[in-house]
Amino acid sequence: MSQLRITGGAVYDPANGVDGDVRDVCIADGRIVASLPDSAPRLDARGMVVMPGGIDMHAHIASSSVNQGRRLLPEEHTLDPAPAPALVEGEARSGTGGTIPSTFTTGYRYAGLGYTTVFDAAVAAASARDTHAQLDDTPVIDAGFFVLMGNDVYLLAQIAAGERDRARDYAAWLLGATGAYAIKVVNPGGVEGWKRNVRTVQSLDDPAPANGVTPRAILETLADAARVLGLPHPVHIHCNNLGLPGNVATTLESMRALTGRPAHFTHLQFHAYAGEKGKAWASGATQIAEYVNAHPEVTGDVGQVMFGNATTVTADGAVEYLLHASSGRKWVNVDVELETGCGIVPYEYRDRAAVASLQWVVGLELFLLSADPWRMVLSTDHPNGGTFMSYPELIRLLMDRAWRDERLKGVNQKLLAGTALADGLAREYTLGEIAIITRAGPARQLGLAHKGHLGVGADADVTIYSRNANIAEMFATPRYVLKGGVLVVEEGQLRRAPQGRRLHVRPGYDTAVMRDLERWFERYGTVSFANFPVANLRDDAVHDAA
Amino acid sequence: MSNGAITTQQATCLGCGCTCDDIDIVVRDGRIAEARRACALGVAWFGDGVVPAEIRSGGESVPLDRALADAAAMLTGARRVLVYLAPDISCDAQRAATAVADKLHAVVDGVSSTTVASGILAAQRRGRVAATFAEIRNRADLLVYWAVDPAQRYPRFAERCGERAAMPLLSAGRTVIAVDVGNRHGPASADERIAFAGADETRAIGALRSIAAGHTDGDAAGDVAARAAQLANRIAAARYAVIIYDAEPAGDEPLADRAESLTAFAQSLNARGRCSLCALRAGGNRGGAEAVLTWQTGYPMTVDFSRGVPRYRPDDTAATLLRRGDVDVLLCVGDVAVMRGFEAGGVRRIVIGPRASTAAPAADVAVDTGVAGIHTGGLAFRMDDVPLPLRPPLTGPLDPAAVLASLAARVRA
Repeated sequence: MSQLRITGGAVYDPANGVDGDVRDVCIADGRIVASLPDSAPRLDARGMVVMPGGIDMHAHIASSSVNQGRRLLPEEHTLDPAPAPALVEGEARSGTGGTIPSTFTTGYRYAGLGYTTVFDAAVAAASARDTHAQLDDTPVIDAGFFVLMGNDVYLLAQIAAGERDRARDYAAWLLGATGAYAIKVVNPGGVEGWKRNVRTVQSLDDPAPANGVTPRAILETLADAARVLGLPHPVHIHCNNLGLPGNVATTLESMRALTGRPAHFTHLQFHAYAGEKGKAWASGATQIAEYVNAHPEVTGDVGQVMFGNATTVTADGAVEYLLHASSGRKWVNVDVELETGCGIVPYEYRDRAAVASLQWVVGLELFLLSADPWRMVLSTDHPNGGTFMSYPELIRLLMDRAWRDERLKGVNQKLLAGTALADGLAREYTLGEIAIITRAGPARQLGLAHKGHLGVGADADVTIYSRNANIAEMFATPRYVLKGGVLVVEEGQLRRAPQGRRLHVRPGYDTAVMRDLERWFERYGTVSFANFPVANLRDDAVHDAA
Repeated sequence: MSNGAITTQQATCLGCGCTCDDIDIVVRDGRIAEARRACALGVAWFGDGVVPAEIRSGGESVPLDRALADAAAMLTGARRVLVYLAPDISCDAQRAATAVADKLHAVVDGVSSTTVASGILAAQRRGRVAATFAEIRNRADLLVYWAVDPAQRYPRFAERCGERAAMPLLSAGRTVIAVDVGNRHGPASADERIAFAGADETRAIGALRSIAAGHTDGDAAGDVAARAAQLANRIAAARYAVIIYDAEPAGDEPLADRAESLTAFAQSLNARGRCSLCALRAGGNRGGAEAVLTWQTGYPMTVDFSRGVPRYRPDDTAATLLRRGDVDVLLCVGDVAVMRGFEAGGVRRIVIGPRASTAAPAADVAVDTGVAGIHTGGLAFRMDDVPLPLRPPLTGPLDPAAVLASLAARVRA
């Protein structure tokens, strides 16, 4: 029985009301336990900060689209070779970094940052096998993914026919068949519109893009499906009109459409722009924060933009065409199997650029104006707004006002007049609040009862930091990281890289949908119905009602 | 079922890049007797499923342990190793082979560097516009076959997602245009044809690009420009056009910049309408090798681990390294027949794959394995990058992924 007592650290475990108290954390067989015999091995954490392992609830690390992005970026990989770490157990693998690191390097680097759980936020159902294979080669982290449904032609057909129960059964079947964790909606109806060359979504009631089915109907159907199926995470929504000036109106309309229903709105920074097309952009962060603050059923993540290289990779094909046309950068588009889209454009956010500077400000405003950190958590929409390697710098911006104000002075001011940040936001996040937006909050939003906290029974995913006046340095180099009780980082070095678990759900459904689906596959599909489901997932489902 | 026949339904065929996964395989007396729904190419690929199961080292039959020990000694003592991902292995075997290459600080490459390197490099410079089969099947109201008739090398393409597929989502009809380039013709059944002399192809695509960019005259003069304009207008008028070309044509060398030029043209058409480019790919899970190499190393081909990290060396392909004598040991995983024609004098060879023992010249170490999709399961990629499961109808010789895992445990970095 493997045991460890972490002694003397200042523990930040907000889910259990612990805010920097010095106390021991006891681990046995991969779980947190109440106590251990005195003879148990000890890890001296005196003077250090102890938190649960980090949880990234929205990143792009292992989809077919991500691999297309990797393939597109040899010039980045060449500049960031990643030698195999010196592991004391098991085979270590070399790789490459850049904005989309190779799979092994992705796992190693997340672990090196103290992150132990990551979700890929956009996987096409037809490519789920690809994602599982990539995750099999992404060590250390527990991982899952969200499966794309908001432009699935079968689902749209059910909504058009008024068959919302069947739509829900389909959603349940698809989650189980692909080994996914949650329902993802990207630009509801708008991706289908892009394929049909209808490029704008005028409103939530615009029937044109998706051949008669409105974005509102798609949002309502899938929000209800997630709720009725009892999924651990509500519908995860990337709203219409990403990246366009004035889109804050669309975002608020989407939130209002689901009033009273649990829903997660993702990378809100990209959806919080005031202004209008062809005119000056402005921040709409205040409006979003006010709405979220007043509506407890709404959760979000920020999708912060960080200056430097990024790669935009999304199922939202239409927006990537616009980015390609405006930036002149290379561009990938893949229309995927009557399900979704894929667009990729490498990008650089420059602090000399007016719009990028506004985006940076909008993200920080969302963090600083949101009253409840449990419901507005940290993300950069890796690698869209910046890579996960920039999280320590982002945490410093949130915790250190002097540093933030200094950085603010150095960015393009053209669009910043009158923004809340320019007018002065004094708030500084505490370590306890950082533990919420990077651990406890994502765990609660994802319904992961065993993660994001250090109470008895929790997974022994623990990150231990040496205190450092420079917050970014502190969060960039944890002293120790435990994953499932295994010491993966020791003295700042990755030493072990065990295989992580796959997090997925298997909701129940009326199997009558199968007969209809089989006919659909025969008529429209190009993969045999029997070959569509992913079989033999290694780990049991987190939520299993089937 | 009769006479003790066992049928495996929805098996996946790796005979070409169409990767049809609707094949019913009937096995009688341990042999494949029938491959229902398979095309002639697929029937030939499945064959009767009988493959040798020899393990040889130094010219004699040996136990697996001995072969692996010999192979490990050869690899560990090598100056520089080339790991080659040949066809007919699953992604699982490709992953295991890449792990061996990483551990040995070897070079790893696959078929793509010989057949589609120019297309891969073009996509890395420019990107790509693509659509998976179901999008083509259900959405394309215009198919343009550029110098290819899929009937010969991709026999079921037209039935799976081309002009012979049902198209219930399309309210309007579908038009097929054959672009004949020199002696490379599009389908005979096309609704319309446009012909260019082989020597005019570059000028023709250049003209198409100019017209798509809004320039009326283009670079080409006279007749070529007129025909290009006619074609460009037809494509631009489509709701969803798909241009189909053969990324791996047999025999004659493809035009080096065809992939890049067609990509640029197809991309530019999306300013106002929708257009995708479909690159026809050959079989054996070639796309899988690119996908696995990309996710493990960041690069889809020609990866050099000699400095302990993956480096991209698109000019130093397997064929080049062998010809120059830059490697002294070759570990070929998969069907080594694809390496016929490579100059590899003086290179010691380890082959782990289907029919390894029958390689000519004989390998120093040969471990016969099953064929992915016939004897072993796992994952493979269709030409449109859709991943599919393999449902082997037969049990057979060793699984190369398992053999490689044993080998990896024996080699020293």
